[in-house]
Amino acid sequence: MMVAWKLLSHLLCFAGIVLVLLRGFPGRRRTVATCASAGFALGVAGALTLLRLLPGEPAFGIIRDVVGGSFLLLWGVSVAAIYLSTGRGLPTGWLQRSLERSLPAGCCALVAGLMAGAVSACKLPAGDPVAPALLLLAAAALAWAAWRLEKMVPESFAVSPAGLATGVVALLLFSSSALIRLDLFSPLTMKVMKFAHDFVHQFFESMLIPDHLFIQTYLWGYIGLLFGKEIGFWGALVILFTPVVLVLLAINLERLPSVAHIRQGAQRRRLLAQAIGARRRRQLVPACSLLIIAASVYRSLYPSVEYWDPKPVPISASAAGDVFIPLKGEVDLQDGRLHKYLFKQGGNEVRFFVLMTPAGKFTVDLDACAICKPDGYGQAEGTVICYYCKTLIPLETVGRPGGCNPVPIPFQVKKDGVHIDGLTLSNTWGSTVQATSRVKEGGK
Amino acid sequence: MKKLLDSVRALLSSRAASPVIIGLFLLVYIVIAFETEDALTALIALTSQSLLLQALLALLPVSCAFRLFGAAQSELLRHRARSGAPASLPAGLYEETVQLPAVQALERLQERLDAEGYRTSRGAGYLSARKGVSSFLPRLLLLSAIFCLFAGILISISSRTSHRAPVIEGEPLPTSRGGGGLVKRIDMKNGTGRVLARVLDIQVAASESGEAEQSFGLYPPALHRGYFVYPRYLGFSPMIRFAAPDLPGGFQGPVVLNLYPAGREDRAEIPGSPYRIVFSVAPRADGSDPFVAGTVSFQFKILKGEELLLSGAAPVGGEFAKDGYRLAVLDSRRMVLTDFVKDYGVLLIWTALICFGVAACVWLPLRLLVPGREMLFLQLPDSTRAYSRAEGAGTGHAGVFHEALDLLEAEAGNAAGKCPPKGDVR
Repeated sequence: MMVAWKLLSHLLCFAGIVLVLLRGFPGRRRTVATCASAGFALGVAGALTLLRLLPGEPAFGIIRDVVGGSFLLLWGVSVAAIYLSTGRGLPTGWLQRSLERSLPAGCCALVAGLMAGAVSACKLPAGDPVAPALLLLAAAALAWAAWRLEKMVPESFAVSPAGLATGVVALLLFSSSALIRLDLFSPLTMKVMKFAHDFVHQFFESMLIPDHLFIQTYLWGYIGLLFGKEIGFWGALVILFTPVVLVLLAINLERLPSVAHIRQGAQRRRLLAQAIGARRRRQLVPACSLLIIAASVYRSLYPSVEYWDPKPVPISASAAGDVFIPLKGEVDLQDGRLHKYLFKQGGNEVRFFVLMTPAGKFTVDLDACAICKPDGYGQAEGTVICYYCKTLIPLETVGRPGGCNPVPIPFQVKKDGVHIDGLTLSNTWGSTVQATSRVKEGGK
Repeated sequence: MKKLLDSVRALLSSRAASPVIIGLFLLVYIVIAFETEDALTALIALTSQSLLLQALLALLPVSCAFRLFGAAQSELLRHRARSGAPASLPAGLYEETVQLPAVQALERLQERLDAEGYRTSRGAGYLSARKGVSSFLPRLLLLSAIFCLFAGILISISSRTSHRAPVIEGEPLPTSRGGGGLVKRIDMKNGTGRVLARVLDIQVAASESGEAEQSFGLYPPALHRGYFVYPRYLGFSPMIRFAAPDLPGGFQGPVVLNLYPAGREDRAEIPGSPYRIVFSVAPRADGSDPFVAGTVSFQFKILKGEELLLSGAAPVGGEFAKDGYRLAVLDSRRMVLTDFVKDYGVLLIWTALICFGVAACVWLPLRLLVPGREMLFLQLPDSTRAYSRAEGAGTGHAGVFHEALDLLEAEAGNAAGKCPPKGDVR
């Protein structure tokens, strides 16, 4: 029952995709419905195979990249749409003609169904043979329902090719946002933060602008905003919403039919009013897509996942500066969970964690990365999350330096437990994390 | 061959060229971002090494130059048409073109358009009507800005060279060929402007190679022998004398320390020995800036390998002695760690930024307050041809144009006449 509830949003997204596809290819309803359902089944089978062959992050990474690719395609479509709407000539006649044929319509439906199926399959419980079959049955029933519903929608509610792409991709994004490992918004936020940071740095260097030492503090405070997580959040929002807004704008800017040759004013006005009305109805799907993307962002920001975030255990070093953590004690270091510690030395506090990765190897890392403010990490299934920028880091890559990964610390594993050099802990925290905090506070 | 050249010209002057090229770079960036965290730096490095990417980047200013030329040509043609010298008007010059039956006189139409607030001009066989101000100038500025921006980026990426050297008071300016003038003084004051918090002045005396006295500030950076002088970090260059029990000969010489602001540490290696001295500048009691004041007191830690031997403080002119270790700071001069950058693309990018600013300032009020609208009526031997274009939405203008067509049709005595459409209206 719980599984069915979890899969409901994915199934509804698939039904929505079928509905949009049916309206987008009005002359190829049967082909579209069949191909979308077949694609969904293929997607489920493909994703389950992939998860079995490449367990963990690689399989999720591939599916996430495919969804990301569809979003990139939407960007291309939206830019082309806005370009065409301003009356620039592009040879698109062949495209229009090919979209009216069965093969392209079927291919589009197959690919869309494939992606929807793959995303849904990621939510299936592992090792349950009945769940995939039930999922496919439910998907087929919903596709049929979408077919029936589409017939009831008035013909005047048409979907433009760009609107079709917008609707399908928005529903895919919403579907993938239900799984933290497929979610695109958080990684996008991180990439935007990094880009903004690099761009400001490169701009200053290229334009020979003096360093922050020479700039007025209030002004540097404003520049410092570009290094915060807010720029990542708002930048990612702009990237997510812009293609849909462009499609809306493109429809709004579509040229009205020429009426200059008609000498009756009333007839001119009637023709123009009809065209404006049709244009408004074509905006319905992109407008709904805006809401769907907004909902996916909300789901990404407030995921229904509880993170494992233990309270840091105070720990001290021996006289020789050795920090020792036993393998078995109050906590079992080999349980695959994040174990946090608080090391205090000479007024400095260092937060770090010990984790046994799925590969069975220990990793010791600061509870902070070299980019964000040190808000720390929580653990969810297969990942840890940076609380500051919400980036997910697969457990397989924890222990590797770079990006938003926790800063790794050298350590030794002996028979009795894990040994870490206290001075190294303090110095690494001081040289990476505290420097990061200063930058995030505007370089003051 | 001509066909090929025409196709290339049409491709390059297309408005789609720039978005497509930028899109390709975006794709390269996305691919790189999958591989590395420093995607932007990697993309810049890749472009600076790849002739193919440089050629692709070069298409952006080239395309812009073509569009600039095309926009100027169109404006010139419209200007000629308005002045009654309408040669053949190419398609696309006006948004709407309509053919009507021949009309003998255009006086009534002129009166009508005058009443609608258009500036009209009538001559032999033509009537032109205009309203508002054309956005040609801001468009020209915008295209020039885009040209300068991408040309600047291309030059910058493909030819930038840079070297870093300390500029020290009392020492010659470190130039690549040598023979730089003596750095007379480095001054720093607290800034009073809205942007710069400090004002830096590096005064350089006339050099033996014939260069006049020069002064280098912070921004915009001045040029010296074709290199921009770009001050990066501040510090001091003290002359120190150090002796240790196992270093009987001791060491005496200047060291260059990047120590600004107060509290920052830098280390000096004692050549031929395991000794390192970590220096920092002690904050002044009155809270003033040691670099601005020019007087400084150093705090230091003496290390042998990784072992901390002792720490203390020594003012300029003073000496510290303990357990056989002696450290004297004989004098200290101000130092600016400076990048000497050869990059003429920067000049173009600055120009682009100015052009962007001016274009935005001119375009917005024009578009909002006095958007350009234009009509042209030509009396041909057997027909009348009407042209119209509007910048911005132009719904009102379209209405006036349609009424003008109705009027002409009525005058031609053919109220129900239908002519083939030759354009669209937005």
